[in-house]
Amino acid sequence: MSTAPFPDRARIDAFDKVRGATEYAADIQFPGLLHAMTVTARIAKGTMTELSTDAAMRVPGVVRVLTPDDFPPPPPTGGEDGPPPPPPTLEKRIAYRGQPVAVVVAETLEAAIAGAEAVRPNFADEQFSCRIDSAGAESESTEDWTAGDAAEAMAGAATAIEATYESPTQHHNPIELLATTAVWADGRLTIHECSQGVNVTKGSVAGALHLDPALIDVKSAYIGGGFGQKGLAQRQTALVAHAAMLTGRPVKLVLPRGQIFHVATYRPNSRHRIQLGADATGKMVAARYHAEHEQSRTGFFSPAEYHESPIRMYGIENYLGTAANIRIDRQAPGYMRAPHPQASCFAFESAVDELAYKLDRDPVAFRIENDTKVDPKTGHPLSSRLLNECLTEGARRFGWSRRSAAPGSMTASDGTQIGWGVAAGCYPSMMPPAIATLRIGANGSTRFATSGHEMGQGIRTAIAAVLLEGLDINADKLDIVIGDTTAAPQHMTAGSWGTAGAVPVAAKAVERMRAAVSELLAGRTVAGNLHRQLATVRRPYIEIEVSQVGAGQNDDALAQLREGGFVVAGPEYPEFTTMSYIAHFVEVHIELHTRRIRMPRVVSIADCGRVISPRTAASQVRGGVVWAFSAALREATEIDRRYGGYLNNDLADYVVAVNADIGEIEVGFVDQPDPLANSMGLKGLGEVAMVGASPAIANAIFHATGKRMRELPIRIEHLL
Amino acid sequence: MQPFTYMRPTTAPDAVSAFASAGADARYIAGGTTLYDLMKLNIEQPRHLIDITAIAGLDKIETDGDRLRFEALAPMSAVATNDVIIRDYPVLAEALSKAASQQLRNMARVGGNLLQRTRCMYFRNGADGVYPCNKREPGSGCAALRGLDRGQAVFGTSDACTAVSPGDFPVALVAMDAQLEILGPAGSRTLPIGDLYRLPADTPHLEFTLAPGEMITAIVVPKTAAGRGSTYHKIRDRESYAFALASAAVALEMDGDQVSRAHIALGGVATKPWRAPEAELKLAGQRLTPEVALDAGRAAFSGASPGKYNGFKVELGARTVADALLIAAERSRS
Repeated sequence: MSTAPFPDRARIDAFDKVRGATEYAADIQFPGLLHAMTVTARIAKGTMTELSTDAAMRVPGVVRVLTPDDFPPPPPTGGEDGPPPPPPTLEKRIAYRGQPVAVVVAETLEAAIAGAEAVRPNFADEQFSCRIDSAGAESESTEDWTAGDAAEAMAGAATAIEATYESPTQHHNPIELLATTAVWADGRLTIHECSQGVNVTKGSVAGALHLDPALIDVKSAYIGGGFGQKGLAQRQTALVAHAAMLTGRPVKLVLPRGQIFHVATYRPNSRHRIQLGADATGKMVAARYHAEHEQSRTGFFSPAEYHESPIRMYGIENYLGTAANIRIDRQAPGYMRAPHPQASCFAFESAVDELAYKLDRDPVAFRIENDTKVDPKTGHPLSSRLLNECLTEGARRFGWSRRSAAPGSMTASDGTQIGWGVAAGCYPSMMPPAIATLRIGANGSTRFATSGHEMGQGIRTAIAAVLLEGLDINADKLDIVIGDTTAAPQHMTAGSWGTAGAVPVAAKAVERMRAAVSELLAGRTVAGNLHRQLATVRRPYIEIEVSQVGAGQNDDALAQLREGGFVVAGPEYPEFTTMSYIAHFVEVHIELHTRRIRMPRVVSIADCGRVISPRTAASQVRGGVVWAFSAALREATEIDRRYGGYLNNDLADYVVAVNADIGEIEVGFVDQPDPLANSMGLKGLGEVAMVGASPAIANAIFHATGKRMRELPIRIEHLL
Repeated sequence: MQPFTYMRPTTAPDAVSAFASAGADARYIAGGTTLYDLMKLNIEQPRHLIDITAIAGLDKIETDGDRLRFEALAPMSAVATNDVIIRDYPVLAEALSKAASQQLRNMARVGGNLLQRTRCMYFRNGADGVYPCNKREPGSGCAALRGLDRGQAVFGTSDACTAVSPGDFPVALVAMDAQLEILGPAGSRTLPIGDLYRLPADTPHLEFTLAPGEMITAIVVPKTAAGRGSTYHKIRDRESYAFALASAAVALEMDGDQVSRAHIALGGVATKPWRAPEAELKLAGQRLTPEVALDAGRAAFSGASPGKYNGFKVELGARTVADALLIAAERSRS
């Protein structure tokens, strides 16, 4: 394996994006296109008793109104091991406010909206519970995560802290709205959708509409921000597909943002009670941690996984992690960037800071001294762990040695309180199997097709970095085809495993292609790049196919990938565990009187193994820090318990960070290859980038003010 | 959204007569930044729109003589970036530049900005009948009263409505004793800006004192020495593109270190732009120290009546006034 750093390279799609030339799902035009709009439930729980479509059908331009009667019954569930069932289509039973109950299809978008407004269903409503602490919420315990004997170790701890932390309901809000266009032609259904998992879309539409998956193609070339919202099957997809099949015309639906708040997944409100104990030398020896979150009546997003990162943050040999779903009448929560550790590492890294403070220890040194080389959960070695290098380098760049330790001891001349905080994060580094084809043409073109989705994170740029590094080909005629079920078997691109799925297989393709060219030329020296060489020997093109699997996987994984199964390896590989790491150093300024919290600078250093695309990698970290700031100080979805639904369901009232909020973010990488994780030595980055930055901000606020903020978001009123 | 007719008259009298012949469901529209938004939410449902942006010569910004005069169609961004306003009346420039976003300020006109409707989430949501709102549907009730009221008003509320008057510029104009020029079916008149806004009482759907068919044609601000010693201090949940949690428009006439006259108005905390005469009186003749400023801030909020989650606005508002006074005093010295 080469370990030389990759050079800086611009995003290969940047020029198209800034010119608006990139086609997102909703931009693709079709002749005869119909527009759809959904009608939603006004009640929070109950039954739709009457749905008259007459008024909607009288709206000029309305073609058809789809109701629950138009859809087949739900498919049988696949059992414990099968994929999650597809989301429901249209149903009379109402599980949450905002649930779609009808779809109006019309010649124009305006007619579709007017038609949807003309549908006024009647409902029989029932008592409902819409908040984690509402009457009627049902607690359901899930499996424990354990190492050693936490109860005994805690009893013997010399110093301990206990506290409860809370993270609010938050919604993803990518700029690109959920959009689906379905085309039914010549016995095939083609779906264009902003999806992080075109294969998931394919399987769920087939299941919901009782279709043969072999008849369905799904394409998602570019996504305007996914963040996990677009990973699982989307509620609208089968509705649009069915509308296209019933009308025989292409149908497009772009869900309004207010509806997306009510049907898409979200980060659930969660509570975290943590006990942390250290021995007389200051080594952390025990953690007891209970996590619970709001959950729909049938949802599967697991609260046990809050423990996935904390149990591996340090060498704490005794850990008892318990968890519970609190089931209420809302749509299901799901994966939102750094899905579990955003909340659990906020809690855990705040607790570590509290313990370090109680022990009168510097929080950087305290973390460094609690390092580990072993995964406490499995007892296996960690394939690489350079968190201490992140902490040391971050402290150096930040100037941590100049920090005055006592809370409230750093103040500007105008009375502004200054706080310096640190926190760390880790996230599983996983790897899906992949199959890729690479074709180089004598006409100057190159086509590389594999599994993966471009959400803006820069996966195409990372693939291009490897191809252009290893092959003398035209960069401007390089076509990287991803997010397309017709091009290669597709996995869901999430959990920071996109690069691990695409880049090692690209490197393998480079190797195989070089061998193929060498064989073709049979020792002859031919001038020019590969395209010229092919032209010279009169060969129109060379195409090769390669595949890869993760550590511990075999050809069964490739077979499952071809069938659309979920076969991601890690972070617990057979012989080792692989995690990515990051350390964040944050400075906050808090106004003397009006208590506005500013963050003028951040230093973040990540260990993501070998960095493949330095520019997009740094951008991922900056984006993660920006969102962690927003999650810590801005974002909360408002739910009035008397009504259910979401009150601040637009970008004016759901307050996200703006440019004016963000100071300087300095990003660095350890850039050391992981020796075991994969052939390229890379580890995941997109998720870990965000982990730990929110607690670093809260810890900095404690340092500035002496006030420990255990509930997000932290706002002006909490510091007045 | 329901169908509507659309007219684009080219003179103000033509617009007024078009309104008169259109009838009760007509609305004037200029930048459209509020009205179109509310129409898409089905909260505003006009049958006739009379677009006044084609009226020639109704966008002048006059700074000569003994008053400032902004005609109704001047874009917010144009007034905000006027050199004289920035230099001599920072309270006005800041109130405009801290509102909305650059794109919205380019579209929105200063006349229409005075008539912006509340951002109360219960008002903006549920045109499908989920959340009761007396402003949207008279007599249906007020969901905010026992609801999520963090953003609601602490002054001027009633049992029927606690919705905040959202504007920034109107607060600054109230502090500066602006007058409005109004044209209507019965001719033209002038109105002190403070008299434009109604308290919600038991009729929160009635927000303004304009008669049907009347339009604001200009805003007139008397020139005063307090202009230079002024500021609009806005505290919000983020650094841009957000409505005020608490804001203070302050202008000071100073006699050396002593305040001879203070103008103070509050935003983000009241059901209409809120003048604070108690605080103004308290300051007259005082040397402006941080303690005196905070006392004045507390006096401004002495009559506040907060709800469940917005109690912090009382303390935040007092401190916002205090900081604004110190900023204004500093400016009056330079």
